[in-house]
Amino acid sequence: MKTNGPMLAGFLILGVAGSGLHADDASTEQLIKQLQKRIEELELKVQALEGTNKPTVSTKDGQSKERMEELEQKVKVLERNRELDQEAAEAKAKEAPKITVGDQGFSLASANGNFALQLKGVLQVDSRTYFNDHGTVGNDGFILRRVRPVLQGTVFRDFDFLFVPDFGTANNGGNGGNAPTPQIQDAYLNYRYNNALQIQGGKFKAPIGLEQLQADRDVNFNERALPTDLVANRDLGFELHGDLFKGVASYAAGIFNGAGDARNSSLSAYQDNKAFEGRLFFQPFKTTSLSALQGFGLGVAGSYQKDQGTNTLSLPSNNGYATVGQQLFFAYNPTNRSVLADGEHWRLSPQGYYYYGPFGLLGEYVISDQKVSLAGAGLKTSAFLEHTAWQVAGSWVMTGEDATYGSVVPRRAFDPRNGGWGAWQLVARYSELNIDDATFPLFSNPLTSAHAAKEWSVGLNWYLNRNIKVSTSFSHTDFQGGGGKGSSPPASVTRQDENVLFTRVQLAF
Amino acid sequence: MIKRIRTVVFILLAFGVGLAEAKELKLLNASYDPTRELYQDFNAAFAKHWQAQTGNQLTIQQSHGGSGKQARAVIDGLEADVVTLALAYDINAIAEKGKLLPADWQTRLPNHSAPYTSTIVFLVRKGNPKGVKDWNDLVDSKVAVITPNPKTSGGARWNYLAAWGYALKKFGNDESKARDFVARLFKNVPVLDTGARGATTTFVQRGIGDVLIAWENEALLSLQESGPQSFELVIPSLSILAEPPVTWVDRVVRRHGTREVAEAYLRYLYTPEGQEIAAKHFYRPRLENVAQKYSSTFPKVNLFTIDEVFGGWQKAQKTHFSEGGIFDQIQQGNR
Repeated sequence: MKTNGPMLAGFLILGVAGSGLHADDASTEQLIKQLQKRIEELELKVQALEGTNKPTVSTKDGQSKERMEELEQKVKVLERNRELDQEAAEAKAKEAPKITVGDQGFSLASANGNFALQLKGVLQVDSRTYFNDHGTVGNDGFILRRVRPVLQGTVFRDFDFLFVPDFGTANNGGNGGNAPTPQIQDAYLNYRYNNALQIQGGKFKAPIGLEQLQADRDVNFNERALPTDLVANRDLGFELHGDLFKGVASYAAGIFNGAGDARNSSLSAYQDNKAFEGRLFFQPFKTTSLSALQGFGLGVAGSYQKDQGTNTLSLPSNNGYATVGQQLFFAYNPTNRSVLADGEHWRLSPQGYYYYGPFGLLGEYVISDQKVSLAGAGLKTSAFLEHTAWQVAGSWVMTGEDATYGSVVPRRAFDPRNGGWGAWQLVARYSELNIDDATFPLFSNPLTSAHAAKEWSVGLNWYLNRNIKVSTSFSHTDFQGGGGKGSSPPASVTRQDENVLFTRVQLAF
Repeated sequence: MIKRIRTVVFILLAFGVGLAEAKELKLLNASYDPTRELYQDFNAAFAKHWQAQTGNQLTIQQSHGGSGKQARAVIDGLEADVVTLALAYDINAIAEKGKLLPADWQTRLPNHSAPYTSTIVFLVRKGNPKGVKDWNDLVDSKVAVITPNPKTSGGARWNYLAAWGYALKKFGNDESKARDFVARLFKNVPVLDTGARGATTTFVQRGIGDVLIAWENEALLSLQESGPQSFELVIPSLSILAEPPVTWVDRVVRRHGTREVAEAYLRYLYTPEGQEIAAKHFYRPRLENVAQKYSSTFPKVNLFTIDEVFGGWQKAQKTHFSEGGIFDQIQQGNR
């Protein structure tokens, strides 16, 4: 009787253990604990029995000890198998596709990361209010500036793709209430041999303008400054690009269909000749310990194209240049004649930025030199016209977050109940665009088109969190020249200074 | 003139950019479970040797796991410059399924690209309480045997084949009796770890089982670490000659530009220095004079080769370890 009790208990435990093997992890764990507890109890009982019955139980003692060891082994085996099951489950989980939903958008990725798909988007709801514009109709109001679902991903580890249609007004301006025409903004495939050597083909931003290359969600103002008028927007072609020496130097060089100033390339070529576009950018202190200089970058970009015959597609968008309020202040509009692109077009743009802590400074200078000629009856006249533009823009994140060429990330997202107010940034800039004097009067009417625009802007940006930004800014532009009679741009625009108040609510993820 | 300068500037911008990036010399060695300590020492020695030879700094990273799992990882994209695995079959898989190296990779380095050898032995608890002396003691139902899973571990496949080879000899090449013998042995295995190191943990640290079937190097390492007061080594009457092979992964080294250093790394394993390091970590050296020096470390064992008994790895793998093979059938029957 003295040892039957523990033996019976042992068998009962084994019975329970056997049935428990089929239970889930939680119940197995519980079972192991119960078994351990029972073993401890049994050990105590055996010890007690040993103390009281020493002379009579030597053989049975050995059996009990053996049984105890057997039980102990079974518990250890159960524990170890459970560990291995957990390891296997963890390994399996690592191999399972990853689904992520967060401030970076929605993404699906294979366990090894070789295949990934991300859904992102940019929505910008703007308002523009023009002051003292002498009753110009249709420019004040609300606009959907950008409505862009973004589909991007990776296949076979090294091939990245991006597809961005736009349902906003970016492509056809404030077109007087007409339905917007959806366009493909970006569509490309990129092969990444390594960070230093990548080749990209499709439609994407031309590697020229510094502010133009900044992501739409990250620009400091609703509209980019005047130098962006002189660079191509998006172009269609192939580009070799990469980062060298851990990002200290980056390069991009490619062959494209070519696009006129501020133009977006169409989805096919309009001539056989191609444009060469390239950019070199250096951040010489990026990897050094000089923290005050790590955010300094300097570069140069340019493009060259020889237009084949005459055309208007190589001329600027809308045959002229627009203010930051997106109103035409200059046009190739000589009286009774029209202007054609006719030969070489080159651009050169030194550029740089400096970011340190909450402060940021960005500057660029652009020369756009284009040969144009007069079309139609009359003397064949042509000229190389060299237009220039520059800007300096500064920013200060008042709440102390780092200013960068990319996004400002608030330390504390907007959450007033818990004292979070996001990040607040003050921005200011000055920019100019100067039309070559030789443009007037042969290629543009000096009575309607301005030969220079000078703009300053100030603004306030509120980054509620990584995804939502609310901003407001005021821009003032004055013109030299133009201002003559006429009810349409550019005369109606250059007749007075442009004063415009912008607001924006932006969702970007 | 200005026009020409402009053109030159643009051409330079477009195509004159430097494409080469100064490369940090790095090697990744994907190896199997028990070689961690060996390659920690060997890597340090080779990096020093390489710097002395070339003046260049070299960083060598290690990745360890079950040999089969490591081969799968390389096929799936782990960019290992060199692989040092438990068995040739796993590297063959990288050649055949991944097309990452040529089929004749084994001819590129001496000794079928196996710079050191090992064998399979037993580790038992102090005093050998279950009296384990040879393979036939492992089929006694009272003996709990620890060995990893042959489906995931190269070492486990060597264990399994060593047992099979013993049984064949014992039963006069009677395959059905050998199968029954191995089935009974695996019936005594309460835990199937995925790798050899895991099995050692189960036996040594968790105190599970009466005998661990192990790589000789792993058993000797456990003895060294735990001391003779905890375990004893048992040499079976017959075992298998294990030849863990090494090679560089052609497509990866081409991509990384590490072909030269990868080959030098593996050839260094054959040098007296490399052999000495291998022997210190209980891998049997190939070089006669080093083997002589460490003869007291390695007991004499009657060994057979996989080619002699199984007709090579391809055949052994297909018969025993493929999906639905004999091992699967044994496990099914033991449930």
